[in-house]
Amino acid sequence: MKNPYFPIPMKVKQAYVETVDRMLRTIELSFLNEEDERAFHFTPGQFCELSILGKGEASFGIASSPTENNSLKFTINKAGVVTTALHHIEEGTEVGVRGPLGNGYPIPLFEGKNVLVIGGGFAFTTLRSLITYFLHPQNRSKVNEITVIYGARMPGLLLYKAELLEWEKRSDIKLVVTVDWGDKDWKGKVGLVPNVLEEVAPSSENSYAVICGPPIMIKFTFPKLMALRFPNERIYTSLEKRMKCGIGKCGRCNIGHLYVCKDGPVFSYAELEKLPKDY
Amino acid sequence: MTLKLDKKDLKAFLETLMDEYDLFAPVQLAEGVSIYKKIDRPDDVDLSTSNPQKPAKEVFFPQSETMFRYEKAGKQQQMTSTEGVEKKRVILGARPCDIQAVSILDDVFLGKEYKDVYYGNKRNGTTLIGLACNHPLSTCFCPSAGGGPFLRKGSDIFLIDLGETFIVELLTEKGMTFQKNKFFKEANTKEISLAQEIEEKASKKADASVPIEGIDRRSDLMMESPFWDRMHEKCIGCGVCTFLCPTCHCFDIVDEALTNKGQRVRNWDSCLFPLYSQETSGHNPRPTGRERTRQRLMHKFNYFPKNFGRVACVGCGRCILYCPVNFDIRQAINLTSAKGIRKVKDQVDLTRR
Amino acid sequence: MEERSKAIQDRIREKARELLLNKTVDLIIGFGEGSFPLRTTPRFIRDPEKTDRLIWNSFCENNLATYLHKFNKFKVGIVVKGCDARSVIALSLEKRFKPDQLFLMGVPCQRMVDRRKVKRAVKGEILRAFEQGDQIVVEGEEFKTILKRDDFFYPSCQVCIHRNPIQADVLVGDPVEESPLIEIHPEIQEFAKKSAEERWKYFEKESSRCIRCYACREACPMCYCAECFVDSSNPKWIEKSLSPSDLEFYHIVRAYHQTGRCTGCGACERACPMEIRLTYLTQKLNRDVKELFNYETGIDTKTLPPLSTYDMEDKQDFIK
Repeated sequence: MKNPYFPIPMKVKQAYVETVDRMLRTIELSFLNEEDERAFHFTPGQFCELSILGKGEASFGIASSPTENNSLKFTINKAGVVTTALHHIEEGTEVGVRGPLGNGYPIPLFEGKNVLVIGGGFAFTTLRSLITYFLHPQNRSKVNEITVIYGARMPGLLLYKAELLEWEKRSDIKLVVTVDWGDKDWKGKVGLVPNVLEEVAPSSENSYAVICGPPIMIKFTFPKLMALRFPNERIYTSLEKRMKCGIGKCGRCNIGHLYVCKDGPVFSYAELEKLPKDY
Repeated sequence: MTLKLDKKDLKAFLETLMDEYDLFAPVQLAEGVSIYKKIDRPDDVDLSTSNPQKPAKEVFFPQSETMFRYEKAGKQQQMTSTEGVEKKRVILGARPCDIQAVSILDDVFLGKEYKDVYYGNKRNGTTLIGLACNHPLSTCFCPSAGGGPFLRKGSDIFLIDLGETFIVELLTEKGMTFQKNKFFKEANTKEISLAQEIEEKASKKADASVPIEGIDRRSDLMMESPFWDRMHEKCIGCGVCTFLCPTCHCFDIVDEALTNKGQRVRNWDSCLFPLYSQETSGHNPRPTGRERTRQRLMHKFNYFPKNFGRVACVGCGRCILYCPVNFDIRQAINLTSAKGIRKVKDQVDLTRR
Repeated sequence: MEERSKAIQDRIREKARELLLNKTVDLIIGFGEGSFPLRTTPRFIRDPEKTDRLIWNSFCENNLATYLHKFNKFKVGIVVKGCDARSVIALSLEKRFKPDQLFLMGVPCQRMVDRRKVKRAVKGEILRAFEQGDQIVVEGEEFKTILKRDDFFYPSCQVCIHRNPIQADVLVGDPVEESPLIEIHPEIQEFAKKSAEERWKYFEKESSRCIRCYACREACPMCYCAECFVDSSNPKWIEKSLSPSDLEFYHIVRAYHQTGRCTGCGACERACPMEIRLTYLTQKLNRDVKELFNYETGIDTKTLPPLSTYDMEDKQDFIK
């Protein structure tokens, strides 16, 4: 019997702070054992449990794409004991990893469709994985138009800035980056995500929407998606809940009979509608 | 052929068992307080007590259990799993309710998808020696939950206490391996008919009227019922009912650290504790007793049946007996049925204001 | 006894009805019929027509003051025994309520009966129990036994010297005659006689049964910290497993945190499913506070607990 609670060892290859408030740090992990690497297959939207031995475990969405070989990337928001330790971890240090866990985004459903990606703040991590996956030469033809709306409170709080610049240059992705408050160097859009969505007004025809962000953003963006006639079945989101085991045993992350860790974290609004409002 | 084991031989029988197995049985810790424990001396076994406070689930799913140990040196680290089990186990004296509960835990830990090795390694190869429940209490309702004081299902060997002797029934292949045990003798017809008499009497006594049948469907529309506004009021939010429940299985995983080494441990957790679902941000999806009590009951009677096809309650009555404020799960169950509501209307005030 | 209880019960119902009808309070917290013999249960009544669900007898063991935290947004009428009233005073000193938020229905207490002790006095399950004069009649399938009520009090009730609520908006029964202060609780005396090693052994044995369900903490009106030290993850004061040192640590720190705040009601011990003796610890601390600071919790409505204040004259003998 394989032990699903026993982490594989990985090593911090690279780590850097992403944002001016220094609350978000990205760490890139490389596999220590070849067989672990061979066995690790994931889909964008899945997550891992990262262990800092002595501090504990916490769950993080995988920010890298399966198309980016031999390493995994996570962006960590400094909040509790484990995340603080991950903010202080040095390059070369070993970390325990369990995963991939959860269901991930329904990639096969998106094939042949337009994909609208809406992200807010630090929830952009697994969306980065999704976008990077589709922008890979092998996968780009799988979907039609890709539209990305990404918002942060301030320019300094945007994640993956270098990549955003690259994507902006590409013609096969429509990227709209917006901030709530600009600064003197900011030349891009200023405005809240729901309003920007209204402005961009992507067609819902033959389209799927994926939305991840703070609850308040989702609350106001969702009606705009409805107005654009996106049906509930074609709007997906990824939920966050307190988790421990990540495999549907320990309780606590359930919404009704489903476990966010095992049956999620990605759900369509049609699925969520059927569940109790317990999140 | 029905066998028997004379009580005067019990000690010697247990000694032979302990040569081969790790034996777990009820042990009295203080007057009227007992738990299942690994037995070092056969004299510690106490089969005369009523159902122990802590259920037999602890043999496979200890309240606190090390998952692995680790050592750190600079940037390197070494982890060693503690999933292995030294010896096969025997549980002696578990009541049918606890044995039924083990099969529910099997669904959770050994069912489809991920298998829990810590539970599985202890569970596999374990011989369950059940003990018939001669005196169900008024708080017991096992027949309502699909069980019964003499339910043999799940036991490999089943004992019936006749006073000076136990009737021994070998029920499974694993049980049959004990057929040649020198302490098991043939029971006479008088003993067999006495056992039947006790069984009949006990089976009549246990409460079969708690309306569990169909509760999964009935509770489907209850998430926002005013029921929850009132039901939770007296609950003080301790973990008695969940910790003493033979089917509750939620746990927490924590690290216990010394400077450079330590261990990862899993401990029982309870959905009635506020911290159970509280997120690091401070947001708690189940902020009050209302949501937490609802989680406890809905998990047992709605979510669990959706996932595993049966309720996560065996009617052992521990949560009723030991609750510090007399929260009675039977009243909650009753309130889901039209007939039951009439029965408890007086006890639970559902006025909403 | 049962006549006295009946009279108290009538007055509780009457007063509760009046309070609800006049909208003096939003709800009443009292005792209702329990779901098995020798048991009552906390009841919450909002409808003036339902106050006849409130009862009074010798089994009203819960300290209802613990619910005041849960209902701190409401005007509450609450049934209090002597010890419960002291808890309310102690909580008021810690500014847990607004002055007019509570209406105390004080019951001069007849001392509560230890249901576990009663159970142990008979063989077989008790299916019916009632009070008759100074007796408790218990019946099972094959027995009917009459017990002397006075032999079955809870340990904390045996030595209670404040059975009359010190502060109450209304007394719903005639005051009882208080017992003289027993110089020292026989149990503590017994305990104090032991050597330090024996005392520690006893404590070790008791705390080793702990299952960390925290029923003691939740049943205690004085345990209301937003985050208990056992739950804090940062800093982490204590591990969460069942190692003896963690169990002992929990019980010692909890007891110390109650020093000068504990009213000795015994709710912690009654809540414990593993029947861990806790009151000999708290009673000893209460006794120490009385001796060192001449302070009894919940008697004086103005003076803060000694460990919450500082005074130049404070005893300092313990600093050596």
